[in-house]
Amino acid sequence: MEQLEKIGKALEIVALESVDLEAENIPAMGKIINALSTILDEGKELLPSIFLTLTGTLQSYVERMSLGEEKDPSPVKEAISCLQTMLRAIERGDEIKENDAEKICHILGGNSEHTLDEPEDKEIKGAEDLKTGSNPEQLSEEDIELLQDFVSEALDSLSTIEVCLVDLEHNPDDAEIINSIFRPFHTIKGVSGFLNLQKINKLAHCSENLLDKARSGEIRIDDHITDLILESVDQLKQLIETVQDNMDTGGPLEGDIDCGDLIHRIQETVARSNEIAKKPLGEILVADGAVSKEEVDQALEEQRRKPEKKVGEVLLEKGAVKPRAVASALRKQKKYGGGQGAELHVKVDTKKLDTLVDMTGELVIAQSMLRQNEAIVSSVNQKLFQTMSQLNQITSTLQKAAMSMRMVPIRHTFQKMVRLVRDLARNSGKEVQLRMSGEDTEIDRNVVDELYEPMVHMVRNAVDHGIEPPNERIELGKPPEGTVELRAYHQSGNIVIEIKDDGRGLDKKRILEKAKEKNLIDDETSLTDSEIYNLIFQPGFSTAKKITDISGRGVGMDVVKKGIEKLRGRVEIDSRPGQGSTFVIHLPLTLAIIDGMVVRVGGERFIVPTLSILESLKPDKDKYTSVHGRGELIKVRDRLVPLVRFENVFDISTDSKDPWEGLVVAVEHDGKQFCLLVDEVIGKEEVVIKSLGSSIMQVKGLAGGAILGDGRVALILDMGGISDLASIAA
Amino acid sequence: MDLGMTVLIVDDFATMRRIVKGVLKDLGFKNIIEAENGKAALSELKKEEVGLVISDWNMPEMTGIELLKAVRAQDQFKSLPFIMVTAEGQKDNVLEAVKAGVTNYVVKPFTPETLKQKLEAAFKQ
Repeated sequence: MEQLEKIGKALEIVALESVDLEAENIPAMGKIINALSTILDEGKELLPSIFLTLTGTLQSYVERMSLGEEKDPSPVKEAISCLQTMLRAIERGDEIKENDAEKICHILGGNSEHTLDEPEDKEIKGAEDLKTGSNPEQLSEEDIELLQDFVSEALDSLSTIEVCLVDLEHNPDDAEIINSIFRPFHTIKGVSGFLNLQKINKLAHCSENLLDKARSGEIRIDDHITDLILESVDQLKQLIETVQDNMDTGGPLEGDIDCGDLIHRIQETVARSNEIAKKPLGEILVADGAVSKEEVDQALEEQRRKPEKKVGEVLLEKGAVKPRAVASALRKQKKYGGGQGAELHVKVDTKKLDTLVDMTGELVIAQSMLRQNEAIVSSVNQKLFQTMSQLNQITSTLQKAAMSMRMVPIRHTFQKMVRLVRDLARNSGKEVQLRMSGEDTEIDRNVVDELYEPMVHMVRNAVDHGIEPPNERIELGKPPEGTVELRAYHQSGNIVIEIKDDGRGLDKKRILEKAKEKNLIDDETSLTDSEIYNLIFQPGFSTAKKITDISGRGVGMDVVKKGIEKLRGRVEIDSRPGQGSTFVIHLPLTLAIIDGMVVRVGGERFIVPTLSILESLKPDKDKYTSVHGRGELIKVRDRLVPLVRFENVFDISTDSKDPWEGLVVAVEHDGKQFCLLVDEVIGKEEVVIKSLGSSIMQVKGLAGGAILGDGRVALILDMGGISDLASIAA
Repeated sequence: MDLGMTVLIVDDFATMRRIVKGVLKDLGFKNIIEAENGKAALSELKKEEVGLVISDWNMPEMTGIELLKAVRAQDQFKSLPFIMVTAEGQKDNVLEAVKAGVTNYVVKPFTPETLKQKLEAAFKQ
């Protein structure tokens, strides 16, 4: 008989592998388990039940051995020889001795209650062995490095959770999304166990349990669950940040944050899900809205007549519920849709990168000094020129490469807004959808960090003040769900970030009223639209009728402006009543290099940031007016623009005393326009910004210094400072 | 146990790789390479002559068990020592790995001593 032969062979494998079976020989156990499965499959209908029972009991004994719950291999050997005897008897057609087999079954069945579930114990043991007690004084350098790695990696992966969670709210059944949320918790739990961070470990552990239930379908993801998970993410972040702080200061690593309440609530939810799991299938289906109550009742009726069938089967047969076609499709997608190969990364200290960028900057300068050196300029050596141009190419490639190392995609900052918008919308009872584009746009690492806060303010404003409540939107004929759009793109050496909402738009009348109330403007002042909008950037300005806990305390927009100006950027507002507002932020790609116009003032050279230049012109005499009390004005494209002379700002004067002799550069800063009188525009140059050093850092009107191509030093002008020094009114 | 052999650590979390690496270094291993998921591990296995794989279970792209199955499906890796790292309490995972031919497994968090025992046991076979 073919089947008996197969069974005999499988049993031979089992016998062979059991010869040197001992507690740690896992591969042998694996082979035995698999061979026993073959016997069970093949012999299902052929072999007497006692044979199958013994095989099954033996299999679970070996399984327990592999789990470390059983140590003694001798019952296995006994069981195998008993099985062999029985098999031989079956082959011969003899009677089998059931008594022996039953006895061995009994021995094999008596499992000791060891489980793998001993986390508490092991965590502490593991941590001690790694010598990472919770007392930071004992932290070795190696431990600190490990902790630092853990902190940055854990924070990173937590922020991906937030994005995934929002996705999950839209597709609560997507197993792959749940898994990608599950994974970071799981890993944080594992690693914190090693590092003896017990609070983090516990919190991550119970959150993981919750997600595990969701993954296995025992819990359905709803608002309550996502809120819990988000709360857990927040608290974990807090804990991890505390670890980071206390590593330096030396308190207990996890501080005194109490996460007992949250852990308790999560555990309660998990416990409640266990009750739900015991509820009849019909009820759960009704609760999920998969079928109606009537259908379930009908099915139950039917089931009473045919008790061998399950409710689910009845419902399926009737076509009342769809089998999880969607879920299985997604699983398949996961299997076949593998991503591209992982890129290799090296983590580098940002300080090292800064030095690299700085040094490359110096190299570029030194190189251009060399190029302009008399000896080289006057040389006729062809070979020297070739080498020079080669050097030129190399340095500029090197500079680009060095710069690009500090660039990161803006994605991360954008993704942080996802969570923000969701929370804001939920708190204010609005429906808001966040759209993003250009997340891959790269931006200087240093800029990204500084950009976060201004963006938070603007997104808050968009949701809180911009987007109307759903009923109001419906009345206005808009879709009930408002949209906030984040866009990032490059434009002529700048990065542009747009925050756009389709809400009510800025209320010009209210802004003006408020500005008058706050004495920011007087009744006579006539302002253009953009000047009116810019008033909201004034300190202490807030038009919100009702102060919410989110925004409206009037500390928002001036902070935004300051933050962005600190990055040498600017904000523009475009708004249409009833249609929404767009805030456009222009930022330099990097903080290390500035695109500037070199101008001559007397014997000095200054650099005017190109970003603030509107135009340069040589005005005719009749374009110049001087008004008593309001200073000198130049007519630039039919607008009167104040003229600023360097002698009024710095102690330097131009050679040309009259604007029509020299040249004026019209600049704009913060919505204010003014003209600078200069002697000459020398040219455009990209310069590496150098700090002026601590002793002269705080000079108003100067943003820094730079070494020009010819090796001379020039100062970079700060338009904001100059306009303040010249006290130009808006 | 030949301490000069190349050990491949597979885990998506860099800190975890570092911990395992530290333990292995303490045990005297000199050649340690890393991969951040099963797929990357497979390509490392093609490039390097690896004497031992220590892999995490839960990873994006390709999990530890998928890696184990893929490894065992290739003749030259039929007996390559493969140690699976699992979280506590996940018996089903362990059994699945045992059936798929894992050499040994270790439960997180483990001590250097435990890993050493598991390694020694793995190389005895």
